[in-house]
Amino acid sequence: MRKRLLTGVIAATMAAASMVATTSAHAAAIDYSKCTDLKSCGGMDALVKAAQKEGKLNVITLPRDWANYGEAMDLFSKAFGIKITDDNPDGSSAYEIQTVKTAPASKVPDAVDVGITYGADNSNLFSPYKVQNWNDITSTYKDASGRWYGDYAGVIALSYDTSIAKAPKSFNDLKDPAFKNMVAIGGDPSAAQESLMSVFAANLANGGTTSDVQKGIDYFSAMKASGNFVTALASGQNFLAGAYKVSFSWSFNGPGAVATAAKAGKTVKYVIPSDAVIKGTPYIMAIPFNAPHPAAARLWTEFLYSENKGKSSTTLGSTKGMTGSKIFAAINGGQNIWIAGGALPIEYDAMVAKGTNATAPAGYEIPAGAKIVTPSPADQDAAKALLKTQWPAIAGN
Amino acid sequence: MKRFSLKWPLIAISSTLAFFLFVVPLYGAATYSFKGNGGKGHSLVNYQWLIHADGFYPSLLTSLKLAVLAGALNLLLMVPTMVYLNLKGQKFKPLVDFLCILPLIIPVVSLAIGAQVAMPEFLQNTEYELVFFFVIIALPYTYRALDTSLQTVALKTLVEASRSLGASWTRTIIRVIVPAIRSGITGALFLTFALSIGEYTITSLLHWETFPTWTVVAAQQNILGAIAISVFSFVGAIVLLTAIALFSKKRVQQVEVEA
Amino acid sequence: MEVVKAHSRVRSSGRGTGVLPLLPFFIFTGFFLIWPVIAVTLRSLHGNKNEWTLANYRPILKAGPYLHAFEVSLKLSIITAVIGSILGAFFAYVIVKYAHGKFGAVIDSISAVFANSGGVPLAFMFVAAFGTEGVVTTVLKNLGWDIYAGHFTIFSFTGVVLVYSFFQIPLMVLVFKPAIAGLRNEWEEASTNLGASQLTYWRRVAIPILTPSFIGAFFLLFAGGFSAYATARALTVGTVPLVPIIIGTLVDGNVISDQANLGDALAVGMIIVATVAMTGYIWAQKRAAKWRAS
Repeated sequence: MRKRLLTGVIAATMAAASMVATTSAHAAAIDYSKCTDLKSCGGMDALVKAAQKEGKLNVITLPRDWANYGEAMDLFSKAFGIKITDDNPDGSSAYEIQTVKTAPASKVPDAVDVGITYGADNSNLFSPYKVQNWNDITSTYKDASGRWYGDYAGVIALSYDTSIAKAPKSFNDLKDPAFKNMVAIGGDPSAAQESLMSVFAANLANGGTTSDVQKGIDYFSAMKASGNFVTALASGQNFLAGAYKVSFSWSFNGPGAVATAAKAGKTVKYVIPSDAVIKGTPYIMAIPFNAPHPAAARLWTEFLYSENKGKSSTTLGSTKGMTGSKIFAAINGGQNIWIAGGALPIEYDAMVAKGTNATAPAGYEIPAGAKIVTPSPADQDAAKALLKTQWPAIAGN
Repeated sequence: MKRFSLKWPLIAISSTLAFFLFVVPLYGAATYSFKGNGGKGHSLVNYQWLIHADGFYPSLLTSLKLAVLAGALNLLLMVPTMVYLNLKGQKFKPLVDFLCILPLIIPVVSLAIGAQVAMPEFLQNTEYELVFFFVIIALPYTYRALDTSLQTVALKTLVEASRSLGASWTRTIIRVIVPAIRSGITGALFLTFALSIGEYTITSLLHWETFPTWTVVAAQQNILGAIAISVFSFVGAIVLLTAIALFSKKRVQQVEVEA
Repeated sequence: MEVVKAHSRVRSSGRGTGVLPLLPFFIFTGFFLIWPVIAVTLRSLHGNKNEWTLANYRPILKAGPYLHAFEVSLKLSIITAVIGSILGAFFAYVIVKYAHGKFGAVIDSISAVFANSGGVPLAFMFVAAFGTEGVVTTVLKNLGWDIYAGHFTIFSFTGVVLVYSFFQIPLMVLVFKPAIAGLRNEWEEASTNLGASQLTYWRRVAIPILTPSFIGAFFLLFAGGFSAYATARALTVGTVPLVPIIIGTLVDGNVISDQANLGDALAVGMIIVATVAMTGYIWAQKRAAKWRAS
């Protein structure tokens, strides 16, 4: 009887002790869907551990050859052992926002990368998180409470098939009869961001200002009349079939496009036009508040905003047994991965000041002393309105 | 009176037209798909890449599975419906006709957005939700094919004869009507199948991976591979459907012999 | 007694059971088709801040890029439907008359696959064949005829019409073949026996019988051409402004518009336009349906 009582007391004490232990453990447990910076997320080791426990990361609309995202995903996966699922790589910003709003819980993206208007207009969908290098992010392009933040931008470049007789260096060059039937654009400028910026670039090259793109529109009008501009869609397959030889696109699409074209037997070169350097407004990154893998989402974001110079996915060895912070310190940060992809990452200026930036690939350096112009969202709206009425006449035939 | 036979001139004209409109474009694309590595020479590397690419078989099987289910559901739903419509439900014909044309008029993108917004969560968590939408998109062709076929047979006579001989409705439909409208059923089935295997927009917007959506991802950095995929899909679908047609013809002949 | 029983059995099955057998169909389309359409229509009536409004419809109704897109969409779908239905009917006739057995099965499969083609793969096929460096272009150039010397380019409205035939014609073949197959040889024989010429047979017997199916198939081609967009989008840059392309850009694009739900309003616009065309089709069908086999 006494023995039973003793067993009972011991059992009760042990139970009470374990309950206390559990409670204090619970008190220390972090809600990764709510922590707002690395410190409140428990530090890098804890964050990595939690992310690895989640094991998965949902990204969305990230083409592998867009700003070197392929390398970013490969490196992240390899370093932390987290499986990345990329929903609809060819999709658009609207698709990303619509997915956040309507997809079933498991398919909601853990991070989005959208055009600036999509990010700013939908801040209520995102949960605030300020990365370690928050202060290096240009203040114009981040939300004060940390719900969204610019990540990278590109410069409009000329891309061309090197087999043509004359190599173009500027918008002015393209007016030459040598480029008859050769110049195409990648989309309808009143509807596609990259094409819209190409019109801004043509506009700048012809003496226009960002508030009025009429000179840019006139440029394309004249090019169409002279036969230099063709109405073919500038796409990989059309290029392969010889539909056009010269086009315009974001610098960060360059390295990937050159590699892809080479595989198909075509040599493509990208060059920043000497008469116009148009830098786009940066894309925006954000973490939806209903992200299914919040710790992985935050780790991915820290990774992309890291300014580290380290190993790439090909040079990285095994990370087994390494603590989270050690792994993080060993690998290339997203900012430098983007530079290698021909993009201008948001922390670029801060990195240059600190000397932590990698060098841009050859041919993607901005000409020294060039005036870099960025059309504001208001400028872009005005341009779109103008193009909506005037572009059909240029494109139609 | 000897009549001038139009046979060979007609065949000649249609063959020439078909050649330039259908064969040449397919040939044009095919020449690119046979280019070797780095665009040099000729080889099967692009097709080898395709077949060995990660995700080829799973996504293809998914597409085939969904296509078969869509075909079956489509016939199950539409054959009895169309039979009744042409027998006693004549007054509902305009309404049903309109509903069946609707999927063609609504931009697929809008239907997909509507599906995203309107479909309940439990349905959105299974890829089988796509089967229902494939049937919906196939409705215009199904209606047209079945209706045309049903109007060429003496439906009322057939049904009355069968019923008066003691056959139940099911037996009448399966053993009497279906063989009579085989042409329409085949057309509807084939279109449903081809449509389901190739459907991209709704699948993509509902976040599923089938063969078409997988090919877009897989071919991201491989233009020649993308072309090989299109040619493969074309030819593969034709081969598959032809095999089904020949197989089903044989079976019908066997049934007729047994009967 | 038995006679009375049999009679009443016939009577009770003769009285239409109304809509009951059609319920599965109505429930199915109601949930998977009508319900999403209602969702889209409701969205089109809401503004940026979720308020009820008709503002999304205003840009469509006044002269501007959206109305122009409707014009181009209609033009393209009507022209390709005419070409597709006439040439398709021609092909269907030749196939039914002269292609027998296994070859017929192959034609069915090919037609089904071709009828569903479109977008980037189809566009590439035609650029590879008829583009500036295309197979046909090169051959013709070697024969002395540069088709690109004049105004022709595959990257134009005309080019898109050419490409559309690739799926419009096979669709017509697939859908119209059963109708031609239904023309009994006996009718042709009977008409010849009664002294009619080939022309008269066609004019008075075959064509009236085929007309309802032809009109139905034509409308199918029209509706299909009206909502197709991926092909034109893969070929050109706004050269052929189609309503579904604009919807795609607004609803799945990278450049935000002033009105968030304008895309949904455009979709509703398309449904209305096609419904109006549909009533014309029903009227034409009714008039032509005098020869239906019973």
